[in-house]
Amino acid sequence: MPVTFVFPRLAGLVLALTLAFCPAGPRPLAAQEPEFFDIPYAPGQWNIGRRLDVSQLRYCVDTRDADWEVAAAIADAVAGALLLEPNRYVVESSIVTEDITRIYAIMLEHCDVHMGFKLIPGGLPNWVTLTRPYYEANYVFVATDPALNALSDVAATRPIAATMGTSAHLRLVSYLTALPRESRWPTYPMGSNDLSLESVLNGTADVALVWAPSLWAKQRKDPAYAGFHVIDPAPLPPTALGVGALLLSDQTFLRTAVDEAIDALVADGTIQGILDDFGFPAVAGEAAAQ
Amino acid sequence: MPGMKSLFMLSALAFGVCSSYAMAQDSVIDKVTPVTDEMLLNPPDGDWLMWRRTYNGWGYSPLDQINKENVGDLQLAWAWGMTPGGRTQETPLVHDGVIYIQNSTHLIQALNGATGELIWEYQHELPDDVSPNGVRSKSIYEDKLIVSTRDGHLIALDTKTGQLVWDQQVVNKDQGFAFSSGSIIANGVIVQGTTGCSNAQPGGCFFTGHDVNTGAEIWRVHTIARGDTPEGNSWNGIPLESRHGASAWIAGSYDPDQKLIFAGVGQPYPWIAEISGLLPKSSDPNVTNNALYTDSTLAIDVKTGELKWYHQYLPNDSLDLDYVYERLLIDLPFNGQDRKMVVTSGKIGIIEAIDRTTGEWLWAKETVPQNVVLSIDQKTGEKTINPEVIPHIGQTTFNCPADPGGRAWQATAYSPRTQTLYMPTVEFCSNTTPQPLDPGEIYVSGGRATFARVPTPESDGNIGQVRAIKLTDQTDSWMYRQHAPVTSSTLPTAGGVVFVGTLDRKFMAFDDETGAVLWTSGSLSNSLESFPVSYSAGGKQYIAIVANWASGLGRLQSLTPEIKLPPNNPATLYVFALPD
Repeated sequence: MPVTFVFPRLAGLVLALTLAFCPAGPRPLAAQEPEFFDIPYAPGQWNIGRRLDVSQLRYCVDTRDADWEVAAAIADAVAGALLLEPNRYVVESSIVTEDITRIYAIMLEHCDVHMGFKLIPGGLPNWVTLTRPYYEANYVFVATDPALNALSDVAATRPIAATMGTSAHLRLVSYLTALPRESRWPTYPMGSNDLSLESVLNGTADVALVWAPSLWAKQRKDPAYAGFHVIDPAPLPPTALGVGALLLSDQTFLRTAVDEAIDALVADGTIQGILDDFGFPAVAGEAAAQ
Repeated sequence: MPGMKSLFMLSALAFGVCSSYAMAQDSVIDKVTPVTDEMLLNPPDGDWLMWRRTYNGWGYSPLDQINKENVGDLQLAWAWGMTPGGRTQETPLVHDGVIYIQNSTHLIQALNGATGELIWEYQHELPDDVSPNGVRSKSIYEDKLIVSTRDGHLIALDTKTGQLVWDQQVVNKDQGFAFSSGSIIANGVIVQGTTGCSNAQPGGCFFTGHDVNTGAEIWRVHTIARGDTPEGNSWNGIPLESRHGASAWIAGSYDPDQKLIFAGVGQPYPWIAEISGLLPKSSDPNVTNNALYTDSTLAIDVKTGELKWYHQYLPNDSLDLDYVYERLLIDLPFNGQDRKMVVTSGKIGIIEAIDRTTGEWLWAKETVPQNVVLSIDQKTGEKTINPEVIPHIGQTTFNCPADPGGRAWQATAYSPRTQTLYMPTVEFCSNTTPQPLDPGEIYVSGGRATFARVPTPESDGNIGQVRAIKLTDQTDSWMYRQHAPVTSSTLPTAGGVVFVGTLDRKFMAFDDETGAVLWTSGSLSNSLESFPVSYSAGGKQYIAIVANWASGLGRLQSLTPEIKLPPNNPATLYVFALPD
């Protein structure tokens, strides 16, 4: 994917970014507040120096994220729009799930922008901030039984495996709670999208409620999931979430710049082009705004 | 030649100093004896050999050199800086005048208990992707210091040299498993609880028994019930792959007469029952949604790992109100009959006693203001839960106490001198709102709710308390109240003094009978969120506590914004003593 300078006026931002990253006078008191309640601790944080190379956009992607290759391509495009050299750090770990505080150390050391976070009001602590979404994707109900084409096709006794705690899971539970007891699908909370999908594969559940990019990633690398198909969520409405990048909350200037770059890349079709190239199940920017 | 003479004397002096230092080090460590089964059953007065000092979990020191009359003269004997950052919640162990500590980076150190000088140290290398945090306790047996690690290892170090004797990986940290507390050793078996059974790892946690000579696992007890039994069918019909929580993150107690370990199990996960699958309730008449063995006491045969019986205090806990904490084994009359009790309390602050020979529920005593339990059946202990506090998606509910608990991991302690339980508590409430927390594929942790912590409706502004409850009749003996949360365990001693630490960096001593404040330290380096201990070295009594912000009740900062703590979370071991 060629990087296009779709946003020439942002070239001036290089200078501004330089100023933003340069050592300045005393930081405001809020930034010096000790770790006490919600500012995490990074091992050896006092040994991590101030970055010197301001011509780069340092970004992180995590190979445990289903969309990490797509996110990396989008981050490259954002860097190009900002006339910055993309500097990719790939987080590789075998730990299944982690506390959000862990990302503090990664960002201090390796990147100013971490790709791949869903935009949920109140879903993140105050020490981080999110950009605007560069794409929006759905949670989807998926099944292997060809006879199942819609949620309404699923018998009330048959279980649904739902990735636990997601916005879509909460919406499903709210709906079920309003139904008569005999009309509710048994719902099995699963710890991850992969476990939800596996539970359909091994017959524990008939339907899985998962993040669509996770099914996309699974089907790319494992033929066992080729037979999974998305079914109509009716009577429930679709659950869509925007995905953006994470920054430390004191990076306000960089956030504004990245936001403007995302806007421009959505407007000129660059991000949709990246999604299409990957066959990725998402739409650029905010679907509702288009 | 006066110059030469001076030089010779200086050299001699230096040699003498070095020699005496080396001799002092040698003599202290040379005198360390093997810790026998008999010592663990009846520890020497000056030793602190396990998490709560004795198998009965009392956390009581029989030393009385420091007493009500002289505690006001207490002064700093020495201090030792520990690795900053991370959270320690440390319990130093002491044997034969040597004090053993575990830094958050898993640097294990042996210090001279009288002087604070380093004797040896051993570094357990944590993987880069495991955040350095401390582990609450350690254990000691014969010539081995048994250390549990955040990456799921049990390691044995030689108590005299710090040399690694064996290293056993017990659990897979990649699946979220970890150890945050140490083990208890009884009958030659290391009993270790596992934590981290959140959404990363379905099926719950477990206690494991290990051969003390090799670390090899010899038995395992799962903390989530399985199979087609009443217990196994208590998860609302969801399969094992969907059952989460039940962490075993606090070391247990041991009854040598019955050869039983008594240990607690935490809550189901996620906390919100509609998200964990425990609500809405299944229409299947053959299942319940009690979620066994969460929020229970387990009685486990130490030799075989057989689960003899259990008692559940709080079925289907949807407010993170763990009943996982210390189990105190206390023998007192109840209703005119001598009973062998196991006494505990959960975050809700209700102290409960059950007969540890039969599992029969005996009595309950409320402490902090709470609106979760409406009533308790006085025969069975069954609780009627206030339906208005159960969180539901799309609603905000008001519950007291909030998620950190009216009490937390900071242990209560029991003094046989006064037959009184000393309990650190806090008073506060929460506006609780279920919250989807799916911001990233990997970074998805959290209890699936936001807790806006607020004072209790009738608050006098005093969030922290030390409560003294007479266990012979479960009456309040005294209560000390202050604004800053009380954040350490209590330490009663035979000198009639109770020690406790606070969020605002003070270490305090109380009269165990009246609650009068007898001594307050100057402000220390950080909040005091750990387990104070007392020991003797060279015939002198010392009181030790680690200063470190360690989560738990420290999370009440939103209620105490004026309390400021230093950056980078320093950790310091402070040791106090009377002047010579």
